[in-house]
Amino acid sequence: MTVEKLGIPTAPIVTIAFEQLAKTNAAQRGMPHERICFVPHPMTNKSDAEMYQVLLGNDPVTGKPFMKEVIDALTVPLTAEEKATGETRPSTGPATFSDTPENLQRFFADNNMTDFQPIILPTDDKVEAMLKGTSHSPDEIVGKMSAAHGAFPEWSYNVRQVAINAVMAGAQPEFFPAILAIASTGQPALFSSTSSFARMAVVNGPFRDKIKMNYGIGALGPFNDANATIGRAWTILTKNLAGAGLPGMTYMGTTGTNFNYNNMCCAETEDKLPDGWQPLHVRHGFKPTDSTVTIFTGWSLTNVCYFGLPYHEMINHWLTHYFSTNNASVTLVLDPTVAADVKRHGYDSPDAFREYLVKNSKTPAWLYWQRRDKEMEQAKQGVEPYASYLKMGPDADIPVTRFEPRRFPGMPADAPLPNTIEMFVMGGETNTYWLGGDFRYTLTTSIDKWA
Amino acid sequence: MKINRRKLLSLMGISPVVLAGVPTFADPAKKRGARASVDSGKIEVLNPRGFPPAIQLIPMAPRVASLDGKTVYLVSDGFEGADRFLNQIAVWFSKNMPSVKTIYRLKAGGLAGDDPKLWAEIKANGAAMIMAYGH
Repeated sequence: MTVEKLGIPTAPIVTIAFEQLAKTNAAQRGMPHERICFVPHPMTNKSDAEMYQVLLGNDPVTGKPFMKEVIDALTVPLTAEEKATGETRPSTGPATFSDTPENLQRFFADNNMTDFQPIILPTDDKVEAMLKGTSHSPDEIVGKMSAAHGAFPEWSYNVRQVAINAVMAGAQPEFFPAILAIASTGQPALFSSTSSFARMAVVNGPFRDKIKMNYGIGALGPFNDANATIGRAWTILTKNLAGAGLPGMTYMGTTGTNFNYNNMCCAETEDKLPDGWQPLHVRHGFKPTDSTVTIFTGWSLTNVCYFGLPYHEMINHWLTHYFSTNNASVTLVLDPTVAADVKRHGYDSPDAFREYLVKNSKTPAWLYWQRRDKEMEQAKQGVEPYASYLKMGPDADIPVTRFEPRRFPGMPADAPLPNTIEMFVMGGETNTYWLGGDFRYTLTTSIDKWA
Repeated sequence: MKINRRKLLSLMGISPVVLAGVPTFADPAKKRGARASVDSGKIEVLNPRGFPPAIQLIPMAPRVASLDGKTVYLVSDGFEGADRFLNQIAVWFSKNMPSVKTIYRLKAGGLAGDDPKLWAEIKANGAAMIMAYGH
């Protein structure tokens, strides 16, 4: 589209699985008649000969010869609609809906405004009660959110609209500052990617106890209304305040993830931190008396218990053999008993433990050599250290960590290098379990600001 | 799952009538022909939707009368296999429209990233662009 704006005719080619996404995206960006040409899906596993046959076949959407479509896209004169200018403001419907509660439950679900579990219907009195949970004006703009930054336009929303969604999720008014804080980040719970992103929200500070959040036994389970509904509200508001979560259009996760139901909302067990260990939010620049929510982004978590080694060593081995091949970001959720064991072995802070893991974790040989063609050539020529690595054999652990702090795609060039290993302490001490997963620390934001 | 594009566009606040701004997100009671007022058994609830941005319609670039003798840029957005597919398009042009000169480029920044340097090159040297593709 950028090139079209420069006066160069363009024929974008998209696989048919993304037809709705591509057309909607073009419309939302102001070019509803963009001449998109389609090929079958998937294309990535086809041979060159098979790809050439695709060119000789038909566009699966129009049924016309594919290359004729491409050439026509570039040469057939524009229609009046394709030359149109002006502005249009999409409608999201009336301010209120009226019907029986049963019909409204069905209507909200049919229109993808829920997570397909029953909601609390957002009547005016319930929303007014929710608004009492903050000192902010109902008309104040809270933020902007896109289903996927850069791919979809940002919608904006005010305090009242966030309150409507908080009511729908079943949240209590005293939870509302945390929901506003999450909404203010502009981070969608349902980030559109084919990879089915999950999110995690971790609350720190006095607010945890004020609203009686669970950070003990079963904190990540269905055992506490604050944990359950703050996380649920994030998903519901993402759908309604950003136009996100429409499968095939603004949500493309191929398998989806159950984590999206409440985004693993929990709190840190700050009172059980080992001596000298600072809470998560303090390590990210806040005071212990501040209340915050920290957002993580990732895909999966593994629940681990192994008694044969001290936990710091076990976690180190797990990192080495943790085969999330395209991702090298890790978040550890340590039961207080595990954190205490790590501390007992000399790690006086999460930073010290992280440094140990970065220094000592390795990379399995098969994974190390997978995308290092240049280093493999050097290894064969005797260049060190690659030659020694190669001699270690295919089953060795190469002494190169995957967890050095590094810049992620899209980060500002002047931003400090983020840690690739993050951790917090949470759990009920019923056993020495810990969780580890491919989650990346995303940001920490103030809840107090929205009280 | 068969996607009903008209319905989905409506859910996104976009009129299927090519963004004509026609509200398509109907009140459920009105949809069934009932009065919107709160009467027996009915309640009124608030619309939870946010504010989608205004959409500026962008005119498309004038088309070229013919590709004969022109330079066409084949641009990959970096998805796996797009480079090989575009190479097959280059082969097709060489066999079927040999007067067309094709130039392959990999766009910087992935799917959503901008690449002003490449756009400037295409503006200076190209007559048209073919870009590939979604997965």
